[in-house]
Amino acid sequence: MSIVDKLLDMDQRIIYALMFIALAFPILFPVMLPMDIQDYSRQAFDFADGIQAGSIVIVEGGLTAATYPQGGPGLVAQIVHMLSNDVKLVFFSLGTEQNVWTATAIEAALDKLPAGVSAENGVDWVHLGYVPGQESGVAALANNIRSVLNVDYFGTPLNSITLMDGVNDATAFAAVLWWGGSEGSIPWGVRQFVTPFGIPMTGMCTTNEVPNYTPYINAGQLQGLIGGVRGSAEYEYLIKMPGPALGQAMATNFGGLLWAVLVILGNILYFVKRTQEGG
Amino acid sequence: MQIPIIITSVAGILMILEYFFPMPDAVTGFNVTLRSFVAIISAAALILGTVVLSIFHVRKVGERKSEWMYSIVYVVSFVATALLGLGSVRNEIFLWIYSNMTSPIGAALYSLTAFYITSAAYRVFRARNWSAGVLLVCSFIVLLMLIPIGAILLPPVVPIGSWLRNYPSGAGFRGMIIGTSLGVMGLGVRVFAGRQKEHLGIREEKVGEQ
Repeated sequence: MSIVDKLLDMDQRIIYALMFIALAFPILFPVMLPMDIQDYSRQAFDFADGIQAGSIVIVEGGLTAATYPQGGPGLVAQIVHMLSNDVKLVFFSLGTEQNVWTATAIEAALDKLPAGVSAENGVDWVHLGYVPGQESGVAALANNIRSVLNVDYFGTPLNSITLMDGVNDATAFAAVLWWGGSEGSIPWGVRQFVTPFGIPMTGMCTTNEVPNYTPYINAGQLQGLIGGVRGSAEYEYLIKMPGPALGQAMATNFGGLLWAVLVILGNILYFVKRTQEGG
Repeated sequence: MQIPIIITSVAGILMILEYFFPMPDAVTGFNVTLRSFVAIISAAALILGTVVLSIFHVRKVGERKSEWMYSIVYVVSFVATALLGLGSVRNEIFLWIYSNMTSPIGAALYSLTAFYITSAAYRVFRARNWSAGVLLVCSFIVLLMLIPIGAILLPPVVPIGSWLRNYPSGAGFRGMIIGTSLGVMGLGVRVFAGRQKEHLGIREEKVGEQ
């Protein structure tokens, strides 16, 4: 067996080991490389930054254990950003697992808030909790919040929450911030909040789903899109709050470059072999 | 059999009308109630799913079917977390189990794709012909655009990658969205007309259907 054949038939465990090193090294030993801000992330940040103080914004928390490492740091950064700008936040989730992660993100954000920022539960933010029914649940929430929920995540009756006073449907919200992760729910927000009520919305999804939502951005139905861990890292960078996403984004640098090197190597070896065989 | 079809059609048509046109309060109120039903039924379906899954695993253990020991793991985990979670989802031990067991397992499973994709790409992602070559070049440009350092290493990847994403890729996805939507509309019309009865638990043989 020639060296070309041996390399083409490389044990996949070697590839796994190389990928592990490429991903783990920058996390264990942080290396900060220059980073360019993507236009979609910039648009999402600018949109959020432009929300007027005192406005009420609805936030869908759709991150799970699998996607929280990608989107969680960005969600935390946006919560800090919004509360620091005196924007009131109403959270909800479309899954029982997502519900827990939304609460986790809120807790993490409250720990990172700068001194002097008001973040009282029920006054500056409220977590409505799990809304069942997928898109129908979103429609129900948008049309009449109390038709699907009577208490919030903590069991407090909505009618006794200061922030929910007069908040009955989608018309109470100035914007929608949709942290859909990989649940594929961004179109539900577009169809149930943006189209019928004209409320502007930004989204967050995993990196691989960004092309799925490009048509919504081009059509003006999404004001911006935060894609994966890089989007989270960019949000952290833009609000000048370095966090875990920046370190992970550096890992994607090394992982992505290794992928590129391996595919180039595979193709060079393939052409060498084909030439040798006279193909 | 006509009554369930009529109920489905009336409910669906009222929902569609309310979405596009201002409707009387009576219709809006009726639709609010219907949507509440969906939320309640969805939540109940979760419980039903859990019960069915638990029965399946308990039976598997009882009958010592193949790999029954994994079902014991399910049953023990389910009983432990359910007892803790039913008390309160903010129970400290419940949250510890979730944060330190469920969460790392979920994250680990998702991150494994990075390893599989890289290994698979090394073996099969070849420029065997012109079409595969174009796909390879485009994937490189988009990858470099997406990794944070890509634009610094090779600045032209940003405009080219954005063009690829906004036009060829965007057009493809837009076509998919429109196609899916038209399919859903067609399915809706068939359901309202009583031609599609799967939602009622009726599976009709297509052979010989005119």
